[in-house]
Amino acid sequence: MVEKIASRPKTRKARAELPDLPNYKAIEESQNFKALMKKKKRFLIPSTILFLGLYILFPLIISYTNVLNSSFIGDISWSWVYALGLFVMTWILVTIYMKKAAEFDGMATETLKEFNYKEEENL
Amino acid sequence: MNPIVITMFLVIVGITLVVTYFAAKKTNTTSEFYTAGGGLTGWQNGLAIAGDYLSAASFLGIAGAIALYGFDGFLFSIGYLVAYLVVLFIVAEPLRNLGKYTLADMINSRFNAKKVRAGAAISSITIVIFYMIAQLVGAGALIQLLFDIPYWIAVLLVGIMMTIYVLFGGMTATSWVQIIKAVLLMTGTVIISFLVLMEFNFNILEMFTFMKTATPHGADYLNPGVKYKMPLDTLSLMIALVLGTAGLPHILMRFFTVRDAKTARSSVMWATWIVGIFYVMTIFLGFGAAAFVGQDLIVSTNPAGNMAAPLLAQALGGDLLMSFVSAVAFATILAVVAGLVLSGASAFAHDIYGQIIKKGKATDREQMLAARYASLGVAVFSIILALFAQSLNVAFLVSLAFCIAASANLPVIIYTIFWNKFNTTGAISSMVTGLVSAIVLVSISPSVMNPVEGVAIITGNPIFPLTNPALVSVPLGFIGGWLGTLLSKEANELKYAEVKVKANTGGFRQL
Repeated sequence: MVEKIASRPKTRKARAELPDLPNYKAIEESQNFKALMKKKKRFLIPSTILFLGLYILFPLIISYTNVLNSSFIGDISWSWVYALGLFVMTWILVTIYMKKAAEFDGMATETLKEFNYKEEENL
Repeated sequence: MNPIVITMFLVIVGITLVVTYFAAKKTNTTSEFYTAGGGLTGWQNGLAIAGDYLSAASFLGIAGAIALYGFDGFLFSIGYLVAYLVVLFIVAEPLRNLGKYTLADMINSRFNAKKVRAGAAISSITIVIFYMIAQLVGAGALIQLLFDIPYWIAVLLVGIMMTIYVLFGGMTATSWVQIIKAVLLMTGTVIISFLVLMEFNFNILEMFTFMKTATPHGADYLNPGVKYKMPLDTLSLMIALVLGTAGLPHILMRFFTVRDAKTARSSVMWATWIVGIFYVMTIFLGFGAAAFVGQDLIVSTNPAGNMAAPLLAQALGGDLLMSFVSAVAFATILAVVAGLVLSGASAFAHDIYGQIIKKGKATDREQMLAARYASLGVAVFSIILALFAQSLNVAFLVSLAFCIAASANLPVIIYTIFWNKFNTTGAISSMVTGLVSAIVLVSISPSVMNPVEGVAIITGNPIFPLTNPALVSVPLGFIGGWLGTLLSKEANELKYAEVKVKANTGGFRQL
């Protein structure tokens, strides 16, 4: 199925006459949307690699070596520190994501505004 | 049975029935039934997600596993928590922006093919049934111990309660039962943790030093390796946990109960904090149980260690605390199975009946009726299976459910959102490869085949060495989707542009 490439009619009357087909291709190619995708990727790809990497590394280290069995403080070993470190990492990344996502939201709104999209006219 | 237990139990049942009564008044349309009308706030949904996640398996199971195996018991907690980053970074917002009620809606926003929808519905239903049998069998055994009643009565009791919540109160009742239970569970855990820490004069170092000599494992108790001795098995399990959460239908369904992607996101944030803090406290629960109840008593009460937390409550807080914890455990089981019934019913009634058989043209009244029949069907079917499965060792079904979610659902979700060339053939081959490989590999694994009679369903040497096949089946799911896409020439760049725009901006949502 190929969708018609047409810019979105500006007036309510014109929209009522034409079947409503938002021009997704044009939105996808717009500067605002491209900037949004670039910004998202620049944050999501490295941070996903980071957290999955640190996570997968953990069972490998504790299975194949004993390095984390040495003492951190008293009888608490580094294994516990690493494990709780993964907890702290999760909380930190969630907090950072919430901040970043607010920026993404702003850029998404800009993109939609450029194409005259309004919330209440959800298709 | 002591009178305090009965009182606590009746109070919990009473509260949830009142909630269901009020929820029923607000449940008139299909959208209200499946998604509580999308009206939950971030913290409410966050508590409900945490509630869905803190099943009896993680509350009683992890506390027991830490009590028996020390550090290795804690590994599960790490996997369960980090999984939320996968949910938040990759799945939650696109799912909210593209879907309506189910995972199949989201995938079908790109393909609009019956085969794809059927595939997604079947993998959801498979996960729900496996997960549910494990929960119900576990619940039956547990309630049998907690309240001293026969197994079949326990299963029927849980089954009838969950059916009432879902049938009458839909998602609104299910969510509020989850929220209430999450609050109670946190309260109970905080109280027990406080009592444990008090025994150690609030000195964590003292607690660790004490634990070195408190169990038969000696100093090994505090190090990895007591339970998981096969490195690849451990790795495989960890992969299933971290990737599976983002494909579990009852968790995914939660993202449709909020107004928009922003609220979906904030509910994940709430859930991460609640679940994380809870899991840190499981260390105190597990250590406390090992120290003050003792491994011998824990194992003799229940070999899997599931009674560690209630026994600890008894040891530190007497009958009152024990009764409270038992009642909370009961509420936990009820809330989780209700959520499962609802997600199974949505796959049957919305995907298969509403969209495939009726081609999306069923009236709201018809859909609502279908949703209720499907809920009843899923509930009765799982209760019957659970009654027959009493003597089987079904604990592995939970990790199998995670494995199918990670192998059959996650690859197709990721490809749908991120890969411009992905197509219908790829979607189907990805789901089929993931689902079939997960099930086949598990059925020839040590979970199902064990040379010692009675340990597993089949007596014999396992053909596949890993207990959890995620290490193999997740890559197979991805490879299946990739090959299927390349082998078929079909591609629709425009449709992908639409999906990409919708997923990333939250605009043009189908209502």
